[in-house]
Amino acid sequence: MSTRQHGAMRSADDTVGGRQAPTVSPARRKWRPYILSIPATVILIGILYPFVQGVGYTFLNYRATEGDVHFIGLGNYLQVFTDPLFWGSVRITLTFAIVATALETVLGVIIALLLNRSSLIGKIFEKVLILPLMIAPVIAGVIWKLMFNPQFGILNHIFNLGSTFDFLSEGRALWSIIMVDAWIYTPFVAILVLAGVRSLPKEPFEASAVDGAGWFYMFRRLMLPMMWPYILVAVIFRFMDCLKVFDIVYVLTQGGPGHATSTLQVNAYINSIINFNYSGGATYMFILWIIVYLTAQQLVKLLGRAQARAAGSEA
Amino acid sequence: MNSPFTEPMSRRRILQGLGLAATAPLLAACVGPGQKSTNNGSNAVTGSFDWQKVKGTTIKILQTPHVYQQTYQPLFKEFTDLTGIQVVADLVPEADYYTKLNTELAGGSATHDAFMMGAYWVWQYGPPGWLEDLDPWINNTAATGSEFDYEDFFDGLRTSMKWDFKLGDAAGTGGTYALPWGFELNNIAYNKTVFDKKGIKPAETFDNLIQLAIDLTDRKNDQYGIAFRGSKSWATIHPGFMTQLSREGGKDYELKDGKLTAAMNSPVAVDFTKKWADLAKQAGPTSWTTYEYPNCTGDLGDGKAMMVYDADSATYPKNVKGASKIAGQIAWHQGPAGPDGSLATNLWTWCWGMNSKSKNKLAAWLFMQWAAGKDAMNKAVQSGAFADPVRQSVFNGTFKQTLGGFPGYLEAFEAQVPQAKVLFTPQTRFLETTEDWAVALQSIYGGSDAKSTLDALVTSNTNKVNS
Repeated sequence: MSTRQHGAMRSADDTVGGRQAPTVSPARRKWRPYILSIPATVILIGILYPFVQGVGYTFLNYRATEGDVHFIGLGNYLQVFTDPLFWGSVRITLTFAIVATALETVLGVIIALLLNRSSLIGKIFEKVLILPLMIAPVIAGVIWKLMFNPQFGILNHIFNLGSTFDFLSEGRALWSIIMVDAWIYTPFVAILVLAGVRSLPKEPFEASAVDGAGWFYMFRRLMLPMMWPYILVAVIFRFMDCLKVFDIVYVLTQGGPGHATSTLQVNAYINSIINFNYSGGATYMFILWIIVYLTAQQLVKLLGRAQARAAGSEA
Repeated sequence: MNSPFTEPMSRRRILQGLGLAATAPLLAACVGPGQKSTNNGSNAVTGSFDWQKVKGTTIKILQTPHVYQQTYQPLFKEFTDLTGIQVVADLVPEADYYTKLNTELAGGSATHDAFMMGAYWVWQYGPPGWLEDLDPWINNTAATGSEFDYEDFFDGLRTSMKWDFKLGDAAGTGGTYALPWGFELNNIAYNKTVFDKKGIKPAETFDNLIQLAIDLTDRKNDQYGIAFRGSKSWATIHPGFMTQLSREGGKDYELKDGKLTAAMNSPVAVDFTKKWADLAKQAGPTSWTTYEYPNCTGDLGDGKAMMVYDADSATYPKNVKGASKIAGQIAWHQGPAGPDGSLATNLWTWCWGMNSKSKNKLAAWLFMQWAAGKDAMNKAVQSGAFADPVRQSVFNGTFKQTLGGFPGYLEAFEAQVPQAKVLFTPQTRFLETTEDWAVALQSIYGGSDAKSTLDALVTSNTNKVNS
């Protein structure tokens, strides 16, 4: 755009409420974009710098308690990829993410559909439902740790399991943690899906009802395709969150017993903070970042297709 | 519109990414990994000793809430009156304490001039130069009062504060990197009322201990035989486990051809580890893999656990009147002897370390000297909760007078203390490799084969300690 054109536009546009807007000197106009972009630049550096530094550590043998730090190329990656503990962590992390997300999604959708019917109980339940989300996951972990206690925990008492049944034993710990995660985050999925359900147009449902379609038919052929983008948004959020789970795992089991619940994040923490192996921890984190990035990329593509399909079915 | 997730990776973007990645090591190098030691500050202190030498200084110390810390808190005012030095104590719960300390020291921070730590941390914090060598301070008469009497500390404690940072060399070589403050021996504390009622006595051999613990287990009445730690932490290994393993003839490492070789899979160690895991399953707390010492001592105090194999000073407070349900009913025993009569005991000590980056080294040293000194320790012991004092004079004087009727405590202590020392081999990967050991123990408890699990641990730990 030339200066002349710009000036012409200005004379036409620079009135606010019928009054002339204050004029800005050319010098100030020239520097304004740079000044306005400072906060964004600072934030960008704040994110980018630690990230780049973290990636840098993955090419070093940086162990805080040892002085000799030097470049080792792909040594850390080689060590991680040949370590059975890493592959175990990948398996545990993926199992956790897939099962927890699936469970929370199914339960969340069911709850959303139940709440969609307006009733007094539904309205009260809607308010109560949000409570687990108000509790910090670390606190929720502590509460559940007490409830899981075989000696005085309420769960063994309610289900009459006796004092020898341990929810956090080697074979059960992962499933117990998934249960805790579902307790905390199913309401999140339910609320997100409920918002979607309530925004659906009524006309297609009314037309189907006139044609004599049953509830299940309408759910399968109308509601589910139109709800799909909302469900997928919930899945994307939950799956990515589950991939980087740390707090409830660490509070409940510290990644144990043995390595039964050692997720990638827990291993990264133990490497970096407990064992001072900053490079090892950074390598775990960078690999996790790649997994989350690639997964998110695929899920967002899926969301785009679902949105297009939903728009089609709506039309 | 393209989203950042769906936009294809162009060649330019890939090159930009690689460019950034290439600068990373340079950036990383700028932030100073591998902190270097600073000069020891004791040479600057000259003249005659005077508590008031740095009057008006304020020092910051880092502590974890603990009986020792609670006992000393009211005494800080006396230190300030004596020296004119103000003490600001920051408290961090024990679960997060070392994370805080590690991060601070690794970052080269001088925020805290002195801090509580365990003897094993000498092996971690010493080699990178985070700890001040205290020998020059102890030996400088301008900085250390004549009444300090370093030789008064129990021998095993003085030894455990020293190392020369050479792999394979034992504790007791090299400089002194901490001052002992409070310590503990690991032995059996038991519910004397139940034992007396049943007419039984503490076990003298490990096999008898197993049988006794099983006999005392009554799950229906929420009662079990023996509590010991089982969480996924190095702290699971060092109390009862390491003590009994050593008595049975097991070791952590052996020096072979100048290299440390892990020995957790020796026939003795495999047999012992299998029995220990089985003992936990048959007669231990149900959620053993989450058990830390407060759980163990809590169960003893509540009358749920009949015995605890842990630190004497951890069970000691539970016998103080009003402190637990069975207060006054706890007794102590040195624990089962090994086949050759060995009462080898792994000791733990809380000690004071000085931050080598401290800007107030003399003030910090005066504080440490006072905290580990006879006067303050006598006063702390008089409160009735400070066990065990690290000074022989305090132990034989004030502590014995304060101890009261704690059955077997003194006898167990005196039987064990001649053979008590840090039984681990000093090495810089102690925390990591010992936590791996705890993980292996948990796996065996969970049903894994003991021999193959320990074989894998030995391969991994041998590589780690020699790398």
